[in-house]
Amino acid sequence: MKNGKGQLTGEHFLLGDHACAEGAILAGCRFFAGYPITPATEIAERMSVRLPQSDGVYVQMEDELASMNAILGGSWAGVKSMTATSGPGFSLMMENLGLGIMLETPCVLVNVQRGGPSTGLPTLVGQQDMMQARWGSHGDYEIIALSPTSPQDLFDLTIRAFNLSEKYRTPVLVMTDAEVGHMTEKVVIPPVEEIEIIDRPQVHKGDVEPDHFRVYRDSVNGGNGYISPMVSAGEGYRIHVTGLTHDERGYPAMNAQANEWNVRRIIDKIQAHKDDIIEVEEQNLKDAEVVVVSYGISARTSLWPIQMARDEGIRVGYLRLITVWPFPEERIRSLAKKVKGIVVPEINMGQMIREVERCVAGQTQVLGVHRPGGDVLEPDQVLNAIRKAAGRSKRAKKKGKE
Amino acid sequence: MTKQSNGTMLRSERARILGYEPLDEGDWVTGLHPMDDLLRGERLPHIWCQGCGLGTALTTFIGALQWLEKNQDWDLDKVSAVSGIGCTGRIAGYVRLDSFHTTHGRAIPFATGLKLANPELKVVVLSGDGDIAGIGGNHFIHAARRNLDITVVCVNNFNYGMTGGQVGPTTPHEARAVTAQYGNFEYPFNLPYLAAASGASFVARWTVLHARQLEWTLRRALAHPGFSFVEVIAPCSTAYARWNREGRGLDEQNLGRRGLETMKYYQQVGRTVTDAHPKDVDIKFNAKGEITEIIEGEFLDEAKPDLKAAMDQRDEHAEKIWLAEKDAVDNRTEIPARKDHIQRAEVKLGGFGGQGIISAGRIIGVAAAIYDKLEACFTQSYGPEARGGAAGSQVVISSDPIHHPHPVEPTSMIILSQGAYTKYVPSLAPGGVLVIDDSLVELPDDHRTDIDTYGIPATKIAEEAGTSKAANTVMLGFWTAIVGVVSREAMRQAVAESVPAKTIELNLKVFDIGFEHGEKIKT
Ligand code: SF4
Repeated sequence: MKNGKGQLTGEHFLLGDHACAEGAILAGCRFFAGYPITPATEIAERMSVRLPQSDGVYVQMEDELASMNAILGGSWAGVKSMTATSGPGFSLMMENLGLGIMLETPCVLVNVQRGGPSTGLPTLVGQQDMMQARWGSHGDYEIIALSPTSPQDLFDLTIRAFNLSEKYRTPVLVMTDAEVGHMTEKVVIPPVEEIEIIDRPQVHKGDVEPDHFRVYRDSVNGGNGYISPMVSAGEGYRIHVTGLTHDERGYPAMNAQANEWNVRRIIDKIQAHKDDIIEVEEQNLKDAEVVVVSYGISARTSLWPIQMARDEGIRVGYLRLITVWPFPEERIRSLAKKVKGIVVPEINMGQMIREVERCVAGQTQVLGVHRPGGDVLEPDQVLNAIRKAAGRSKRAKKKGKE
Repeated sequence: MTKQSNGTMLRSERARILGYEPLDEGDWVTGLHPMDDLLRGERLPHIWCQGCGLGTALTTFIGALQWLEKNQDWDLDKVSAVSGIGCTGRIAGYVRLDSFHTTHGRAIPFATGLKLANPELKVVVLSGDGDIAGIGGNHFIHAARRNLDITVVCVNNFNYGMTGGQVGPTTPHEARAVTAQYGNFEYPFNLPYLAAASGASFVARWTVLHARQLEWTLRRALAHPGFSFVEVIAPCSTAYARWNREGRGLDEQNLGRRGLETMKYYQQVGRTVTDAHPKDVDIKFNAKGEITEIIEGEFLDEAKPDLKAAMDQRDEHAEKIWLAEKDAVDNRTEIPARKDHIQRAEVKLGGFGGQGIISAGRIIGVAAAIYDKLEACFTQSYGPEARGGAAGSQVVISSDPIHHPHPVEPTSMIILSQGAYTKYVPSLAPGGVLVIDDSLVELPDDHRTDIDTYGIPATKIAEEAGTSKAANTVMLGFWTAIVGVVSREAMRQAVAESVPAKTIELNLKVFDIGFEHGEKIKT
């Protein structure tokens, strides 16, 4: 993989999906496997044009099962790999997202969420896959998921997704949506040398005595804290990896003890690094009586009603989850003790609000602002919830101007 | 040899054979078998049943690799074995190669990623008939269609062995299985034909008792550039051979014996027909589902460009396009940023497909965001709104961050069709500005009086200038002059970078006509 070739810099008026593709290429992604699906198709389209310009490979697979598997193969070949999809394809990818987690494979999966369930609303926005992102594949695991609010943010977070996936050797989800994916805004791309790019810790031919090499043992390979350096296919270590419960050699181990070792490993490596992984954006939390906790497009659109409420004299704070998974439990817990209420706007019938409620544990009221897919939340819906949380009964005024 | 009761060697015994103390309990090879180099001795004994054909399938595969290493300088460090799930899927766990035991049916797409991301690797998929032709059937035909340079070895034992002998996509009609106890009512695939019809460039079949021929074929299949497919017919002594007792006495109880007898039977009904057409190689069976003929041999060996070679041919063209695009961005003309504060302005554009409604909206966005250095959020209408040939797009422009991406109450509208007029104009803000192509839009009697309406015969002007396609550019010039949210210079730059190179001059000309027309009307 040659870096630098075909990388875009400067200011561009970019579609969100295209910004995602550019972020991936800058992060070093040189393999993309995907399947057309609205509203994620433009990521594949852009990759199909841009990867051949950057010494990368684009392939359209026969379905999303194959796409997800192909990027795992690409990653084990030593190449940063990505796929992108939306609801129905996301469901198909769940099977091998699990394999990726089990094999500890760095890769990035972008879900440009649309309205569901089933075929749902292919062209219109939804944030209805947030719990699927957390629990969609069978078994116990931890996942990292990021949620952007604009094409610029989608660009930045795609790079961050690659960095986290490489660092923690795990698939990372970018949970964007049709609104952000299909909007076009200015994206500023700094020169590549100004961007932090993290590459997986790696063992190459000759670094470790092959007989002593253990795919999943960090102490032998010189790793630290649950993360073993990765070895690519073709390096002479003759590794074996499997989706079965396995031991540190990667060999199947069919017993409860091995499962505990295996499952704890993939959970603990994320849990132990929560501070590094979790990112939130905060505004006006110090004096807040009400806090809006949101993510993605709903966080962005909430900024307007928040401004309106502040104009009415309500001290509203803003907590945006940049990292949605793992969930910033402690942050929410400590907020809950201090505020009159928390408002959670999201374009679904109530998903992340469950996490908020779990952490709040009855210490303050939690008000959801929900709608199923199809459109962003109306400013008035959020404004009214803020008023209610603050204990103001004033009815919504006529629609204001931002 | 000193053995523990579970059949594995004592640690001390292993250490004696190895000459060193193993790092782990299981970390050893016996050093006693010519294939040890390529077997994970520490994983033996394997899980396969006595009399199963998989052992032979594995050894012929290893034999072929050893031959290639010796005679064709293959570096076996560069060979990856990928398996799915099932009895055959366990092969990946026993070969001392880079080996990937993936999910059920997905070995081929995993292999596709490995191979495409690192074409230096030799990638082999070894899996069963259920894995490759059942749950993974779609991946199989598509990899063959792409002529991806991998080898797929499919061990066909006519049923799902691992799960106890269920009927599968290769079970002969009327044969028995644990889920087809009254006889299989379905018909099996002819796998070589399926592979060939899908685009594979090397196709062969042998039973495991034709071990020599199988090994020779595997050498050729592995070395073949392009998608090679080898079907290996193997007895499943535990499951299939229990339900289907072809050629054997009904009293056969010994598992190893049962496997061996079945293997012999398959060999006996085997008929080598090199160069048989794949369509003629169905496995024949009688009315009871007993196999009566297995045609074997190499059926296809064709030279055609493999997937990666076909991809690489396009690189030069891609590079050229890239350099041109990069050039355009690098040589962009900077204009001074706007100093005045722009309040949130919401522009809605409407017309029908082909009028350039989407590109016109985008041009406004480029002008505002890139040249005037404002915030701009451009979206287009998807879904139901865009049906029936209608086209809509919208831009929100502001000096401040744009939180709400859509127009809530548009402050201006650019309308190029009667349909768009009817649909959008009611939502224009009171006091808002409506610009229409009055060669296409007729104002009704009840036209809103609380808005400012400006008309220009944009399509006519564009036609006169050479093409009606540029009507949207006329409208942009007109709108720019009247609304003034975006500067004329920014718009001219945005038009120039957005339209096809050959039409830049024409578009700028009609933009200026529109602009001047607007200036005149305004004053
Ligand atoms: S179940 Fe059949 S295919 Fe599987 S190991 Fe036993 S004999 Fe072989």
